[in-house]
Amino acid sequence: MRTIRFLVITGMIMSLAIFTEASRVLAQDLGASDAATLKEIQREMREMRAERKRDRELIQKLEAKVDGLEKGSAKTQATTEQLKTTDEKLQATTAALQQTTAQVKTLQAKVDQPIPAPDFSEAFNRYLGSHTFEITGAAAGNFIYDQQSGALNDLHHASQNSFFFDWEPMILYRPADWILFEGVFDAGFGSTGTGMDLSIADFQLFLNKYMTLVAGLYDQPFGDWYENQSPMWVNRFITAPLPFGNEAIVPPSELGLQLRGGMQWGTLGQDFDYTVWGGNGPNFSEAVPGAALSGPTSAASAQSNGKSIGARLRIYPLPLEWEMGRLELGASTYNGKWMNGNWFNSWGVDFNYFKDNLQARGEWIESYRQMPNGVPTDHREGWYVQAGYFLNDVNAPFVPRQVNDYIHRLEPLIRYSGVNQHAVATDDIVAATGVGLGGTQIGLVPDFGINGSPALYAPHSREVALGLDYWIAPSIVWQNEFDIELPHAGGVFVSSTGAQTPAGAIPNDRAFLSQFTIGF
Amino acid sequence: MKKQVAAFLLMTATLGSVGGLARADQQMTPAEHRRLFLKGAELWPVYCNQCHNARPPSEKAPVEWNAIIMHMRTLGNIPPDDAQALLEYLKSGH
Repeated sequence: MRTIRFLVITGMIMSLAIFTEASRVLAQDLGASDAATLKEIQREMREMRAERKRDRELIQKLEAKVDGLEKGSAKTQATTEQLKTTDEKLQATTAALQQTTAQVKTLQAKVDQPIPAPDFSEAFNRYLGSHTFEITGAAAGNFIYDQQSGALNDLHHASQNSFFFDWEPMILYRPADWILFEGVFDAGFGSTGTGMDLSIADFQLFLNKYMTLVAGLYDQPFGDWYENQSPMWVNRFITAPLPFGNEAIVPPSELGLQLRGGMQWGTLGQDFDYTVWGGNGPNFSEAVPGAALSGPTSAASAQSNGKSIGARLRIYPLPLEWEMGRLELGASTYNGKWMNGNWFNSWGVDFNYFKDNLQARGEWIESYRQMPNGVPTDHREGWYVQAGYFLNDVNAPFVPRQVNDYIHRLEPLIRYSGVNQHAVATDDIVAATGVGLGGTQIGLVPDFGINGSPALYAPHSREVALGLDYWIAPSIVWQNEFDIELPHAGGVFVSSTGAQTPAGAIPNDRAFLSQFTIGF
Repeated sequence: MKKQVAAFLLMTATLGSVGGLARADQQMTPAEHRRLFLKGAELWPVYCNQCHNARPPSEKAPVEWNAIIMHMRTLGNIPPDDAQALLEYLKSGH
């Protein structure tokens, strides 16, 4: 702006000089002759001066404006600089914010992504290690009252009542996904005081999809009872059915090897499974008819004629999609030489049906034991059938809702079981009786899972059991059982010398059992 | 005869062990997890209740179900795919 102002002023000065010089030259040329023309020139000069004055004033105004504009421009420039700085800071902040937002989005996406539970569990497993050590099992305390109303084979009888407790921890050790160790202890306070027993101790090797090798001491895989129904919290009743109680038809356990597996043969739910096994074989307390079967550990030392072989096949014919429940049909056999080439042979069939609140099961078993010295074959047969129904869906009218809540936890049960055998060994009955203070026999003593009734030792025992279970949780139950003993006449009692005495009249007893059981 | 049986069992056990170890290394896809979970949810109330009351998944930690399902697979002769489905359901439902 200063340059412009300088040029304007310079131009005006030069114009004035040129004009003055021209007037002087013109005056010399014209002289004083033309006064009018001079006046005109003078008038024009005055106008020019006035115009120059106005121009000067205008320039001054313009200069003032220019100065004002220059000052305003400086302020604007300063403001612009500030804005620019602020903008740069804002851009930097925006970039940082965008970066943070991107990180947040990434994290959010990871958080929002559903983590499959198996992945979580696998991670948890890895955290804990590959070896799994698990303790499960059951514990129960019960009270048994048995009304012993009559004598049996001249044994003293007296009604019994007593408390018992039993604890059966199961230890599972899983070093890898192809091998498992299982051990079950049975510890409790029974008729002979505190005792402990090793029920199961075996290795399970998962060879492939369809073959599992079991080696050790295990429940007899004959039928369904010993393997699947004997655990306290699994058994709907407190006692065992007669063929699996104190007059067992087949040994309750075995020491040996099993090969087993299952497969689907049709649609989902249509399965087939097999179990074949061999072991120490059966052993009996005495070489007389009706002698009790003993455990496999005693067989290890007493049995000297080959081993046992057994097989069980089961089929499940109903597809799940039919929604007709699940039906199991099974057949079993167990055979072995029990003494000096004398065979013990047994077979059985079983069924199990479950649908909604209804469950029913049953088994039939027969055994034949070749006897030495020309004694007729010791033939035994036993059976049971039971049913239970959960009252989950039953709503009693005209009662408060709280009462119905209790009713929904109830499961009424009924079971009929029996054993037929020609004879019962007297020594086995004596061994099952208790001896009280002063050496006085106080009668047939109940024990954990056995009501102690003399009628249980009849050659032709029969029992009707009524049960009412109150389920507090799926594995916590208060069980109540009322046993009605209805033995049939017939059969004999056999002493250790082979002397036989007709069984005669067997008292009809009643027993009540109540048990609180926790499966853990 | 006894030697032949023993040799057969030994050979089967060896092969089975290798197979078992190989199975341990397998990784399932999410789709396979989902398929097994749904199948297990269908089997659980039927297979378990057949012998005893079905225990809810929350009763045991996932790592515990590993051992328990192995035990039940043996005891119930459960087909291996069904046992795997039950395991996925019980572990996922925790």
